[in-house]
Parts: sequence; C-alpha cells; structure tokens
Amino acid sequence: MKDVGRHPRIKLMTLSEVEDVSGYVGNFNVKVRRKARYVREADCTACGECATVCPVNKYNEYEVGLATRNAIYIPFPQSIPSSYVINMADCLSKDVITCNKCVEKCQKRCIDFDMRDEIVELKVGAVVVATGMDVYDPTRLDEYGYTRFQNVVTSLELERLINAGGPTGGHLVRPGDTKAPKRIGFIQCVGSRSHNRGNPYCSNICCMVTIKNSLLIKEHYPDTEITVFYIDIRAFGKGFEDLYERSKREGVRYVRGLPEHIEEDPSTGSLRLKVENTTAGCIEEHELDMVVLAVGLEARKDGDKIRHLLSLSQTSDGFLAESHPKLMPVDAPTRGVFLAGCVESPKDIKDSVTQASAAAARAGVILSSDKIKLDAAIAVVDKEKCTFCELCVQVCPYSAISASKQNKIAAHVTEAMCAGCGSCAAECAFGAISLRHFEDAQYMAQIEAALAENPQDTAIVFACNWCSYAAADLTGTSRLQYPPNIRIIRTMCSARVNEKFVMQAFKLGAPVVLVSGCHLADCHYMAANRSTVKRMDRLWSRLERLGIRPERLQLEWMSAAEGQKFARVMAELDERRSKVTPEEIEQTRKALEAADKKKVA
Amino acid sequence: MTPTEKQSKLKCMRCGHEYTTSDDLIKVERACPKCRSNSVRRVGEKK
Ligand SMILES: Cc1cc2nc3c(=O)[nH]c(=O)nc-3n(C[C@H](O)[C@H](O)[C@H](O)COP(=O)(O)OP(=O)(O)OC[C@H]3O[C@@H](n4cnc5c(N)ncnc54)[C@H](O)[C@@H]3O)c2cc1C
Ligand SMILES: [Zn+2]
Repeated sequence: MKDVGRHPRIKLMTLSEVEDVSGYVGNFNVKVRRKARYVREADCTACGECATVCPVNKYNEYEVGLATRNAIYIPFPQSIPSSYVINMADCLSKDVITCNKCVEKCQKRCIDFDMRDEIVELKVGAVVVATGMDVYDPTRLDEYGYTRFQNVVTSLELERLINAGGPTGGHLVRPGDTKAPKRIGFIQCVGSRSHNRGNPYCSNICCMVTIKNSLLIKEHYPDTEITVFYIDIRAFGKGFEDLYERSKREGVRYVRGLPEHIEEDPSTGSLRLKVENTTAGCIEEHELDMVVLAVGLEARKDGDKIRHLLSLSQTSDGFLAESHPKLMPVDAPTRGVFLAGCVESPKDIKDSVTQASAAAARAGVILSSDKIKLDAAIAVVDKEKCTFCELCVQVCPYSAISASKQNKIAAHVTEAMCAGCGSCAAECAFGAISLRHFEDAQYMAQIEAALAENPQDTAIVFACNWCSYAAADLTGTSRLQYPPNIRIIRTMCSARVNEKFVMQAFKLGAPVVLVSGCHLADCHYMAANRSTVKRMDRLWSRLERLGIRPERLQLEWMSAAEGQKFARVMAELDERRSKVTPEEIEQTRKALEAADKKKVA
Repeated sequence: MTPTEKQSKLKCMRCGHEYTTSDDLIKVERACPKCRSNSVRRVGEKK
C-alpha cells in the first residue's frame, strides 16, 4: 500500500467513491466524490494528540468492535495516507462547533471543519473493479449463539485477537472474561455450503484460514487444545495439504461433523456442544472455552451501485460475472472493465493478487495502444428506417445504443460498447438495426434451406453460440445420439432470434421450433437472454391468437456441459414433431399467409 | 389455486402442467416443477 501511495504514476484516492461512469473502453469519464476528511492530510503528522482529547467513543470498524475509536482517528496503523480523519457523523461539532477540543490540541492547525466533499472528474481508458466482499454475519444462525454468548467469535474477530497490532497486542484472550482460552473449537462452513443456512457455495478460504490460525495458536500456546468441526477439509492449493498435515501433527483434532447448537454455562462462560462424529460413528460432547465460527464470504451488500454504473452482471451467487470463465476470466462483460479479487468470487490473497496482476496487464493492453480491435459482428443502424421507437435502447444490455423519441434522433450504436448479442436487431420491427455477419436475410436463407425438402420431417433449433450450440458439440464428441432430422441454426445469443424467424419456419412447414440458449444467469451477454424470455411469451400468445398450437414452439436453456440434456431435448422435440399432422402444418401455413395479407392490406 | 397479487400463473408447454409462482418471471429461470422443461409460458393477466 505504501508503494502504491508513493508511486509517481498512481493517484491513490482514499475516502473516495465513484459516483458516475459514462463513456466506453478507452474513453471512460468517471466522477469521484472525495469525501471531506476535515484534517489536512498534507499537514497532519499523525502524532495522535487530537485523539487523546476527543470525548467520543465509537465502535472501531477495523477491530470489528473489539475496541473503540474516537471521532477523530486513524483507521488502522498502516493507513495510507498516514493522517487522521474525522467521522463527522460521530463528531460532537457536526452541527455547530461545540466541542472543538481537537482543534485546540492540534499544534499543526490541520483540522478544518469547513472542508466539503469534492467531485473530481477523471478520464480513464480502463477500469479495474476490486471492491472485495462481505463476511457472512452469523447472528442469523441463532443456534450458535453468536452475539448471545460472548465467547463465540467469528474468524474475523479471531484474526484481530491474535494479531500483534490488534486490541490485545496479540495475546489471545476470550472476550467474555479476557482469560486465555485453553480449549478452542472451530466450526467450519458457517454460512457456506448450505441452502437454508447462508450460501450454497464453498467460500474457498475458510478451511485454510482455520488451519493457519490453529497453527498460529499452537505456536504461541502449545498447550491449547484445538478441535476443528468440519464437513470436509478443502486444502487444494499449493502447499496447503502440508499445512493441514502439520496442524494435525501439532495436535489439532479434526472431527468430521458440525454441531447442531451451542449452549453456554453462564457461571463460567464455557460452551458446550454435541456433535455426531461421522468418521467414528458416535455422538461426542465437547466443553470449550471459546468457539470460532469460520464464516464464509459473500457478495458486498452495497455492490449494486458499482454494478449498475459499469453495466456489469452477477452470477447466481451474487458475485460479479466474468466475460468467459475460461477464455476471459478477468474481463468484465463491459469492454474495458476488469475484475480482480473477491468481487468476482471468494478467494485468498494469492489468487486475488494473481487476478489483479492479470487485470492490470489486460488494462495495460488497452492503455498502450492508440486503437483497439473490435469484433466485426456488431450492430449497425439504417437511419432511414429508424422510427425512434427506442425499443433497441431498452433491450441493449450494454447501454451501447442511444436514440430519442422526443427529439426524433435515430438510433446510434457506440461500436466500442456493442458486444454483438443482436438483441436490438431482433427487437426492431422495422429492420432498422442489423447485426453484421448475422443479418436477417442470412437467417431467413438458412431457414429456407433447412426446410426446402420434407419440411414435415424437420425440426428447427435455434442454438446460441456459447452454450446450447456448444452443448450440441459436446453431444457429438460424446458420441451421444440425437435424431438426424434436427436442423440447428446458430445465433450468437438466443436474444438474436427474431419473432419473424420463428414465424417464417412455421410458414415454410416446420412442425416444431425450439429456441435455446445459455441458462438465464449464465448469459454470455449479461442478461440479453431475458429479452428472449419476453419474446417467447409474446410468440406463444401470437401463435395462440393465430390458432396455432403454442406447444409447437419450445424453449430450453442449457449449458455447454449439458450434452446429455441436449440429446434428450432433441429426442423429445422429434417425438413432438412426429405428432404434428400434415393437415395441421397446412392450416398453419394458411393462417400465417392470411395474417401477412391482412398486414399488407 | 388462484394467483394472488404477487403471483403469476404459468403453463408448461411441454407437459401442460399449470402452476403459480411468486418468482420474478424475467429474472428467475422458469422451469416446470413437474417435468423441468424451460418451455414455461406466462398465462393470464400480466401482474
Ligand atoms: C477472517 C478472514 C481471514 C482471512 N485470512 C486470509 C489469509 O490468512 N490468507 C489469505 O490469503 N487470505 C485470507 N483471507 C482472504 C482475504 O481477505 C481476501 O483474499 C482478500 O481480502 C481479497 O482482497 P480484495 O482486494 O479482493 O478485497 P478486500 O480485501 O475486501 O478489499 C476491497 C476494498 O475495496 C473497498 N471498497 C469496496 N467498495 C468500494 C467502493 N465502492 N469504492 C471504493 N472502495 C471500495 C473496501 O473498503 C476494501 O478496502 C481471509 C479472509 C477472512 C474473512
Ligand atoms: Zn412440464
């Protein structure tokens, strides 16, 4: 952090928050609110005299409440800049200057109550999001008595209790009576790997954090009895298994099984728990002086703001989604934005730093070139045909399109922001937007060719490039069988499937049509496939109004790994196809032709 | 069951099963509780 602070080409803006982002890759405009510090950092020598006279005592956020701080304070010993700050919400002088003790004490005269927040505008070429995570709050799990029992602490609190710079100077004591605990229990997976008690995913770091802390405690207090209650230990990183083995050699006991609940003996503050040791197949009772809950990590509660500002998407666990898990793991779906650290998924420091280095290198690629290469498949507007309806603006997941109904301004695509999903082209009823290389005429020709011979025996499948088409590939490479009369038409995203493609297929005699794409939360184009969902509802209603059975149009989401699902869906689709009679197909054709005539008239 | 204020009525286009849900129909992946198909259509009034 010191190196960053001193670096001539890095501008470190602490106590600052991004308020607005506009523009696009290479040309972002960022508005940053620099919050008032009320202490001139250039003059402050961090002597600490001011804090000695401050009468306010508040929850110390850095010490997770294990200590207090004043209203004027230094957030933590190694803070950069090394300067005090006043939390105005806590200061007695927030409305009228009533206290003024710190001002009187400060010899350097660096306290200034007239300071105001400042808005700073920056022009940047790339953005790295590294806003981290939240730690799971186990207060919700009443059975473990966190906050009810003083000697039940979280792993984060333990970090402070054993840190030489922490509130106890590194002397491990239990909060209830400040006595050194002789028997410590760690409960793993608190808030992780559970569908009804926290989050369903593994938080990645908790096993190693416990192993590390058990070794630290054993090193300083070898007589401490340590028991770890776990589901399974995940020590998969370099050197991790060694650490695990070492902690066992040091006498840490590992019991496979999680306790149901904890009871406290109010006279001693000791904790009792019962656990089913699933390795030994017996119930064990434990009496402990202190219990540490190995809490998981979760997405930041205030993360939505940054997500909206940069048009980013989340995976189902709430963390930010990368552009592609294998090929672009540090790129965000918005071009020019990169992800690093726990904002993307729970990870340890090594992985966070690895990802941050990669993100910095990716950003460097953009910054070091005058021009960037874009994919050719991006949306283009025929301004003559545009009716300013703004529908394209609404469906674009990247906010790459602007238009104005009010001012009659035709749609304009900022090419550097367009990712090429084609949602806009599918939504435009006037053919005013097309996706280069994936144009309407090309699709119409493919549909025609697929149904040129024996249309009654053919099923039309629209498959998105990233998931369902890849699932079809996997079906092939896995030697799984599916009916040979399926005709697959590849689109970049399911959202590219225009209603008229589906109608054209039915008009040309297709008995059944399937639209398929990535699972809703896994869309390669952020949430473009939500447009598909809306369009499918519209299509089913339209078919019904025309007297065509809506069941002939199917929708399936599948991932690139679901080759088996692909094969099963295709077999079922063919089965459905075989039940559509030539009479029904003929009726459909007539109904659609009549509808076309009505439209022309 | 009749759909309440926040519930939507859905019909599976694969097996015909009808059900109601309070899920957000656009953000949450629709899957028929009976046959797991995603060909699930919103029927009736838009809520
Ligand atoms: C109890 C515990 C013990 C751990 N022990 C270890 C260990 O021993 N070894 C190890 O490798 N890992 C450990 N970890 C994991 C480690 O903490 C993470 O890997 C690491 O902190 C991730 O770094 P990060 O930069 O992604 O996020 P963070 O460290 O969370 O940093 C994100 C920063 O962004 C700031 N921020 C958030 N939103 C905004 C915004 N809108 N504007 C400006 N700034 C913002 C936050 O204030 C924060 O300073 C532990 C984690 C926990 C919970
Ligand atoms: Zn069904």
